[in-house]
Amino acid sequence: MDFIISGFQKGAALVFSGDAEVFAIARLSLAVSLGATAAAVLVGVPLGSAIAVKKFPLKKLLIALANTGMGLPPVVAGLVVMLFLSRNGPLGFLNWLYTPAGMVIAQTIIALPIITALSISAMQSVDPKFYRQILALGASDAQAIRVCLKELRLTVLAAVIAGFGRLVAEVGAVMIVGGNIRHQTRMLTTATVMETQMGNFDTAIALGLILLSLSFAVNLALTLIQQRRVAR
Amino acid sequence: MIKLRGLRLGFETGFALAVDELYVREGEVFAIIGPNGAGKTTLLNAMAMLTPPAAGTLEIMGQDALRPANRLLLRRAMSVVFSQPYLTTDTVFNNVALPLALRGRKDRGAVERALELFKISHLKDRDARTLSQGESHRAALARAFVTEPKLLLLDEPFGSLDERVKDAITRDLRQVVKSSGAAVVLVTQDQAGALTLCDTLAVIVNGRILQQGEPQAIFSRPAAKEVADFVGVETILPGKVLSRTDNLCAVEAGGKTLMAVSDCAAGDSVFFCLRPEDVSVSMNADAGGRRNNFKSRIISVAPWGLEYKVELDCGFTLQAAVTKQLVDGLGLKPGGEVYASFKAVAAHLIKRIL
Repeated sequence: MDFIISGFQKGAALVFSGDAEVFAIARLSLAVSLGATAAAVLVGVPLGSAIAVKKFPLKKLLIALANTGMGLPPVVAGLVVMLFLSRNGPLGFLNWLYTPAGMVIAQTIIALPIITALSISAMQSVDPKFYRQILALGASDAQAIRVCLKELRLTVLAAVIAGFGRLVAEVGAVMIVGGNIRHQTRMLTTATVMETQMGNFDTAIALGLILLSLSFAVNLALTLIQQRRVAR
Repeated sequence: MIKLRGLRLGFETGFALAVDELYVREGEVFAIIGPNGAGKTTLLNAMAMLTPPAAGTLEIMGQDALRPANRLLLRRAMSVVFSQPYLTTDTVFNNVALPLALRGRKDRGAVERALELFKISHLKDRDARTLSQGESHRAALARAFVTEPKLLLLDEPFGSLDERVKDAITRDLRQVVKSSGAAVVLVTQDQAGALTLCDTLAVIVNGRILQQGEPQAIFSRPAAKEVADFVGVETILPGKVLSRTDNLCAVEAGGKTLMAVSDCAAGDSVFFCLRPEDVSVSMNADAGGRRNNFKSRIISVAPWGLEYKVELDCGFTLQAAVTKQLVDGLGLKPGGEVYASFKAVAAHLIKRIL
C-alpha cells in the first residue's frame, strides 16, 4: 500500500516540478490527438452528413461499416498504418513511420468511423420536413446540411468529445506506428506503459495524472462551448 | 407561372397522384382544396421540386423545373411555407434573414420590411423557440416574403392555429399578396380561408383534380358528386331528368318531381344537388314563387356554426340551414311539420355516368 501512496506523492511532485521532458511528452500527446480529432471532424462530419442525406445503393451497408468501425481495435488500425508506411509499403516514400505525422494518420483512422457514424445518426435525427423546408428556402444541399449542423451543434460536439476521448486514451496504434521513441514519438500513454513495465510507478502515476488533467481540460473546454447556448 | 401537364406520382402505399393539367397564371392566387389524404401536399411538393414525379412535365417561370440543373435557381425565385413553421434555433431576425443568407445576400432593410409586413418587428431579437404558435407562423411568412418571391407555395400555412389568430394572419397575408403581385398556390382544407384569398380554385379528391375554376362556380355548380360532397352540398339525390322546357328541368328524385335549372337533357341520369343555405323553411304553404315546395316533417335540429341545421323528411331527406331566430320564432323541433321550399335556380344537376 505504501508504494502506491508514495507513488502518488512523487507523481504529484513531478507534475508540479515542471519537468521539461514530461511536458514535451504531454504537448506531443495533445497535439497528435487534437490534430487527429480535427482531421476526423473535417472529413467525418461532412461525410456522415452526406451519407445521411443522400439516397444511394448500399447506403445501409456503408452505415453498418461506419458503426462497426466505431469499435475498430487501435492495434489493428496501427498495424495497417504501419504496414502502409513501412519502407516497402505503398506509402513508404513518405518516411512517416515513427513520426508524429504517422501517429496522426493512425489516430485519424480510429476517430473517423466514430465521428462519421455519430454524424450520420445525428443528421438522420433531423426531421425530414425541417430539411425540406431549408431546401425550399433556397438552400443547396451543402447549405442545408450546414444549417442542420448548426441546429445539431450539441450532438456534433458530443461526437467530437467522444472522438477525442478515444484518441487521447489510445495506446496501441501510437505504440506501433510511433514506436515510443524518446524526444520524438513518446506519448503520455506509451510512456505510462513503458514506465510501468520498468517498475517506475511514480513516473507512471505522474504521467497518468497529467493525461487525466489534459483530457479533463479539453473536455471542459468542449463542454463549455457545447453548453454555451443551452439556457435551460 | 406554373404549367404542369400529365403529372404522375405513385407511392408504395398504393396512393397515386394523377394531374392532367394545371396552370397558375402570374399574380393569381390558386387554391387547392380537398379532403385529408387527397394528395394536396404531394402535389405542392411536386411543384416545389421536392418530390420528383414519375412522369409528366413541370414548367415554372418558363423553365423546365424537372431538370436538376434548374432546381436551385428556381427555388431561389420562389418561397414555400409549410403547415409547421420550422424555425431554426436562432433569433427571429436571423430566421427571417436566412433565405437572404442562403442567396449570399445581406439586406437588413429587407428583413426589417418583412418583419413589419407581418407585424412582428418587436420580436426580432427574441429566440425563435420562445414564440407563440401565431408568432411562429408570422415569422415563417415573413421569412417567405423577405426575398420578394415571384411565386409562393403555401401548404396549410396556418395548420393548427385558432380561428381568431388565423383570421388575423389571413387578413395580413391577403394584403401582402395583393400588393406584392406574386402568384400564390395555396393548399388548404379550410374552404372559407381559400375563398377569402383565391382567384382560382381546384378541388382534388383521391389524387385527381376533379374541378378547377372560379370558386363561386365550384361552390354552386360542382362538376362531380365528390366535389359537391366536399364543398358543402348536403342534399345529393340520384335521379333522372323527366323533361326539359327551355332550361327548366323536371327531375324525378327521392320519389318526388323536383325542378332545377340545368342544360341536362330529358332521360339523363343525374345527381340532384342542393346547398342547405338555399332551402327556406316556413309554416305556411305559400312558397313565394319558389318552384319547389314540400310539406315536411322535422327529423332533427342541431347547431351548425352560427346557424342551425334542420334535417327534414319530405319524402326524401333534405338539409336546411336556418337562423337561430327562425328556430326560436317558429319553434322548430323534431316531429314538427313545416314547408320547405327552394328555387329551381338554386338546385344543380350533375350528370351521372352509369
